Amino acid sequence: MSGRNILAVAQVECLRLIRSRVTFTLLLLVPLLQVLLFGFAIRPEATSVSVAVAAPTPESATNVVKALREDRRFRLVGKVAAPGGAERTVRSGQALVGIEIPELRSFSNPRAPNVPVRIIVDATNPSLTTAAEARIEARYWRELAQQADAGGVGLKIERLYNPQGRADWTFLPALAGVTVMIAMIMLGSLAVSREREGGTWESLQSLPLGAGEVLVGKILPGTALGTLQGAIVLLIGAGLFDVPMRGSLIALVALLPLFAATHLAIGYAISARAATQLAALQGAVAFYLPAMLLSGFLYPFETLPRWAQLIGNAFPLSHFIRAAQGATLRGDAAATVLEHAWPMLIAVLAAAFAALVFRPRAQ
Amino acid sequence: MSTADPVIDVTGLSRSFGGRPAVRGISMRLGRGEVVGLVGANGGGKTTTLRMLAGLLHPTEGRGTVLGADVTRPSQANHKQIGYMTQSLALYPELTVAENLAFRARVLCGGDQAAQVAVVDNFALASVLSARVSELSGGWARRVQFAASVIHRPALLLLDEPTAGLDARTRQDMWGWIAGLAAGGSTILVSTHDLHEAERCPLIVHFRDGEAEGPFTPETFAQRSGAATLEAAIIAEAGR
Repeated sequence: MSGRNILAVAQVECLRLIRSRVTFTLLLLVPLLQVLLFGFAIRPEATSVSVAVAAPTPESATNVVKALREDRRFRLVGKVAAPGGAERTVRSGQALVGIEIPELRSFSNPRAPNVPVRIIVDATNPSLTTAAEARIEARYWRELAQQADAGGVGLKIERLYNPQGRADWTFLPALAGVTVMIAMIMLGSLAVSREREGGTWESLQSLPLGAGEVLVGKILPGTALGTLQGAIVLLIGAGLFDVPMRGSLIALVALLPLFAATHLAIGYAISARAATQLAALQGAVAFYLPAMLLSGFLYPFETLPRWAQLIGNAFPLSHFIRAAQGATLRGDAAATVLEHAWPMLIAVLAAAFAALVFRPRAQ
Repeated sequence: MSTADPVIDVTGLSRSFGGRPAVRGISMRLGRGEVVGLVGANGGGKTTTLRMLAGLLHPTEGRGTVLGADVTRPSQANHKQIGYMTQSLALYPELTVAENLAFRARVLCGGDQAAQVAVVDNFALASVLSARVSELSGGWARRVQFAASVIHRPALLLLDEPTAGLDARTRQDMWGWIAGLAAGGSTILVSTHDLHEAERCPLIVHFRDGEAEGPFTPETFAQRSGAATLEAAIIAEAGR
């Protein structure tokens, strides 16, 4: 080992690192993105769980409403509804927790049936609602302890969609989207940069092919692969992990080609600006890292601050996760699942437009 | 080089990259079947000129036509009549020779089987048809690339250093193919650093610092510089 040789190699390596844009992305951009997202956006615990309340009369829910308003981690949805209204609100996806207060037995109403307060929880994402359940329960027993005459009707917690609170049921449908997103964005970004570095891109440019023809031709095979990949993940989820397929699986699978094509087009647009394959891959990482953090995959969407939710909604993955969890756990019908196609359609058109506007030219 | 019905007729073509001029005021008028060698030092503007004529780069200045089409607005129809062989190996390495040729044939001449058979015969490719391009030697790969560039019998063939790195036999073959295509009516521009090869061209254009002079016959160019050979003349020009 010669120290002089090592220094010579190190000096060259230093110069290459300093003069490479890739270093800038690796050392500055990606860490900055992570620091900003983890610092400002990621809150593992729900900061604002939506709660709907229903009671025979608004007055009978006064204490509950007051307690919920005092706790910043709950957000009351609408006014106090008639009995059954809270459950309907949860089932429609407008609230994560519903509180159905029964007619309570009291001195003035001694004949009221002795039924418990029902807490209906959308348990699609148990990491989001478990803490909320516990807080509501604790609050209830504390109130009860302070008001010995309130009558111990008790609480009955009903977890919808995922009664056992299985995290794998939450993650696996979403994972179908994540795997397709990562694979397709990589494939899209490499499709052109690999050709450019390999020397075939210039030749391709000299052929009588329109930019749109090249874009669509390059995206089509990947779209088929992405669809297959997503379908396999869903099948594994159902076969190995018993993920329930209660809704329209056909509609969900029908979303896969659009979802895959969207990320291929985004990858293609990234590659249009990337000089090398490595730079293209970094662009892909810079896209899918925030997508994973802000889409509800790693952390529940509802725990994100409003501004982060707005950004998160721009990622097609957020919509795919909602569609996937709807089609599997919640039992959403085809029309409901396919409602999530619109944001993806807009995204694929925008990405294709960007890819064509910034289309990579031969070097 | 004036002809009544020119294949290339351009005046004052210029191209800059980031404000730095790469080609300045190129004018050229070539007819059917002419073979012109583009010679000169690296960075002289040969490749940039070829790419402008191929429709890959828009000139920043100048006007004219290539195969009758506006050089500033290259069309898909025009691309069908141009063959462009790049310096780098522009074949898909994962694909076989047959698959590479079939792709070019589909895009350039509607999948014409006869065209594919013709290039396989003309370039003696039958023995490597099922081989992947990544498995070929450099010489065979360039031979396939040349075949792919002319599969549609282009009216204009632009060759960017087609013989670089090839052995003597393959070079000789390649110049034979160039002569054959020119005899068939194709107009051919060949960029080359091999000045012995450039002497095979009836005419040469000399590029230096983005400007072109010529065309000359190789002999005229040498005499003009007071040199005995084209190579000596180019070296003398570079030293000026």
